[in-house]
Amino acid sequence: MTAIVRGSGGNPANAADEDVCLALGSMGSSESTISSAVRTETTFTVNGRSVRVELDPRESLLDVLRERLGLTGTKKGCDHGQCGACTVHLDGRRIVSCLTPAVQVNGQAVTTIEGVADPDGTLHPLQEAFIDNDALQCGYCTPGQVMSGLACIAEGHAGSDDEIREYLSGNLCRCGAYAGILAAVRETARRPNSPSSEG
Amino acid sequence: MSTPTRRVDAREKVTGAARYGADRTSPDLAHAVFAVSTIGKGRVVNVDTAAAEAVPGVLTVLTRIDPAELGSPGFVMGGGYGFQSLQPLTDDRIAYRGQPIALVVADTLVAATEAANLVRAEYEAEPVTSDLDAEGAETLVQEEAIPLPFLADIVVGDADAAFAGSAVRIEETYELPRQHQVPMELIGGVVEWRGDTLVVHEGTQNAGALRGGLAKQLGMDPAKIEIIAPYTGGGFGQKNSLQPHVGPLALAARRLGRPIKFVMPRTQTFHQASFRPASRHLVRLGADETGRLLAAVHEVDQQTSRHDLFPSMSTEITSRLYGIGHFRGRQRLVRTDVQTPGFMRAPFEHPAAFAFESAVDELAYAVGQDPVALRLANDTDVDPVTGQPFSSRYLAECLRRGADMFGWAGRTHEPRSMRASDGSRIGWGVASGVYPASVAPAVARLTATSEGKVTVGVDGHEMGQGIRTAITLLISEDLSVGVDDVTVDVGDTRVAPQHLTAGSWGTATALQAVHAALRELRKHLNVADSDPVDVGAAVAATGQTSVEVEATTIAPGQPPEIIERSRAGLVAFAGPVYPGFTAFSFIAHFVEVRIEPTTRRIRVPRVVSVADCGRVASPVTAASQVRGAVVWGIGASLRERSEVDPRFGGFANATMEEYPIPVNADIGEIEVGFVDKPDPMLNPVGVKGLGEVAMVGVAAAIGNAVFHATGRRLRRLPIRIEDVL
Ligand code: FES
Ligand code: FES
Repeated sequence: MTAIVRGSGGNPANAADEDVCLALGSMGSSESTISSAVRTETTFTVNGRSVRVELDPRESLLDVLRERLGLTGTKKGCDHGQCGACTVHLDGRRIVSCLTPAVQVNGQAVTTIEGVADPDGTLHPLQEAFIDNDALQCGYCTPGQVMSGLACIAEGHAGSDDEIREYLSGNLCRCGAYAGILAAVRETARRPNSPSSEG
Repeated sequence: MSTPTRRVDAREKVTGAARYGADRTSPDLAHAVFAVSTIGKGRVVNVDTAAAEAVPGVLTVLTRIDPAELGSPGFVMGGGYGFQSLQPLTDDRIAYRGQPIALVVADTLVAATEAANLVRAEYEAEPVTSDLDAEGAETLVQEEAIPLPFLADIVVGDADAAFAGSAVRIEETYELPRQHQVPMELIGGVVEWRGDTLVVHEGTQNAGALRGGLAKQLGMDPAKIEIIAPYTGGGFGQKNSLQPHVGPLALAARRLGRPIKFVMPRTQTFHQASFRPASRHLVRLGADETGRLLAAVHEVDQQTSRHDLFPSMSTEITSRLYGIGHFRGRQRLVRTDVQTPGFMRAPFEHPAAFAFESAVDELAYAVGQDPVALRLANDTDVDPVTGQPFSSRYLAECLRRGADMFGWAGRTHEPRSMRASDGSRIGWGVASGVYPASVAPAVARLTATSEGKVTVGVDGHEMGQGIRTAITLLISEDLSVGVDDVTVDVGDTRVAPQHLTAGSWGTATALQAVHAALRELRKHLNVADSDPVDVGAAVAATGQTSVEVEATTIAPGQPPEIIERSRAGLVAFAGPVYPGFTAFSFIAHFVEVRIEPTTRRIRVPRVVSVADCGRVASPVTAASQVRGAVVWGIGASLRERSEVDPRFGGFANATMEEYPIPVNADIGEIEVGFVDKPDPMLNPVGVKGLGEVAMVGVAAAIGNAVFHATGRRLRRLPIRIEDVL
């Protein structure tokens, strides 16, 4: 059996643990194991709302959002940082929540897909553009695409089609809705007041 | 023709409100993880669960289930319900790497994962056979191994003699790799008991088989099983039947008295579910000096498992692509040590068309003909296999319009004759695609209210193809009600039997049933068969607040009792050969590849695809389906291959990083056209299938374009940089 640690970057509890071992080789889940369930109280905001949770340090932000906070709009496609379905914003920057230990977001602000539209239900222009350009099929990758698309525009990486394609290539879409996704991000970036059009 | 409209469930999808199987949460939810075999074949001698059981929060570790408690679901292509007949955990046999050896259920996902990682097993390993030609592979002639008429070899005339007597002969072998569907939604969901009713929330293309299969496995009354799958996060064939994790979860949930959530880790989806088998295709084409096709032979070797015979239907399309007088097919199945392979978008048609349409391109170059002209010259209105007419066939129009849209006239015929200003080699390729137009039985229950709202529950599953939008449009146009006044319930056994949605029959099948229910409604409301209706007023005029009607439809030529098969969760589709006609969908793909001068990277900047799918039921979602299928074709020809280490079996690149599905930067312009002529025979709405034909031929068009760019004929997929150095 080879010892493999993945998905634990930046987690002090895991990094300190010597007893990390993956019993199932390449076949099993590659979450690392630790011997005891330490609980850490963590406070952060989600979509502007303050939350406080007792966490096992191994819990990912993705699982905490979905299983503890009932925010199931954020999706799990790989749990390994390879597909982008779990993309959320942490203090305004896009991250993959499956590779982010929830204890690590203590004191920070998380935005999920549920926090993108106005509370009155008015969609964000990028969400409208996704609908107008049919930038989705099954919809499973869509929350992650929207969160990445928003970040791509905010980062000023929506200057050309090639640049958009490149900066959205961390978000896989098996339905192949890429042309629509590109069109939606391009269209939104060109609206007055978007960071890209100002830049 | 329909008015383009937005996808009706898009708002739910862009806001994160759409609920997929694993999105169900409840306070007492337990979490499951499977520990799996690390050998590729043999026997489990002992499973040590002590360490796993000691993990705080672990509720149960299950290593063996009595077959009397959980029987085999049967194989979906053998009269059963499962993607394979083998039910793991019911004996000590290991048939493939990654087969579950223990089920762990715990209070939390971290505890279940930790415990599963602590399960230790001792095995008696046996040598593994993975490849078609490996020692231990067992080759069977399909028509002898499975004596069913629709799986028999297709033979028309005397192809071998006609080939031998042809002035021009092409004979080549093409190889296609194992590939995986990799839908973005992981397999799994939530299994719970409500009293003595078993409720499963899981993304699927076949809720009916989940119900029928669980009833069979658990010895239950199917009426006590509900499958709820309003949204499926992509299926592509992998979710087309009962998966073997559900039965054990149902037993565990009953014992624990708690609902259980299971989300299969991505790596396990490569081993615990179906995949596209490896296949090899020998194609012989005989023609005269002008390229008129006289004879074709198509022999196929396709991988299967030891425990099931996953049949090939490759020659069903190659015998119909052109008007060839003499055809001989032969399909062989090769048993290897693997989970049972299965359906993956255009399961046989994509590989078969890559082989056949590459060979047709080779013929075009052998006789010095333009590849589009050669295809047009070999078109046919008559099904060469049965002698019946095609219900509709606009392949020639697809080719002509596609050529126009693409600018094919600007192509120079010679290989290596086109170059971009940056030094990239340019290649332009074309290929045709065809796919059977099947139909399945369906039930539609339609309710109209005095408020003018219409709700329909019907057979069908929404996995992104847009079936909900197509049904909404049909109702909205038929009754002149707003799309917002229409509600469509699919993927739910509480509203209809939920026959398998696959094989591109979903939309035609559901629309035909809804169309019949609309006729029924008009009768009940006493309104003429075609005029616009004020639904609210018409319902109110009956003195009721709502009117409910039901219609059951079947495929042309099916006996009425076929609906009972569907109600039992069994596969019950018909086609493409019906009494008096044969029905297929058609497409033509035009592809530009560019091969970069220094890296030799192959790019696909531009594709034009023109489809004949009958009437286009939902223009916006249909165009998306074609673009998505072209993306699939690009992945299938330039990227995707499930790697096997023959010493160990299983799949070596079983992650989303190492199994390279296309990303946004891989995809250029994809222009889509539709012939949009209703099929007059298949069903009253005139709709044929689209989702799969749209992928058929893309790989060949890419391979043909690579030949045009480089002069190299590549007969093995995927085509990679090393092939064009
Ligand atoms: S689920 Fe996080 S990147 Fe795939
Ligand atoms: S819409 Fe299905 S994976 Fe992107």
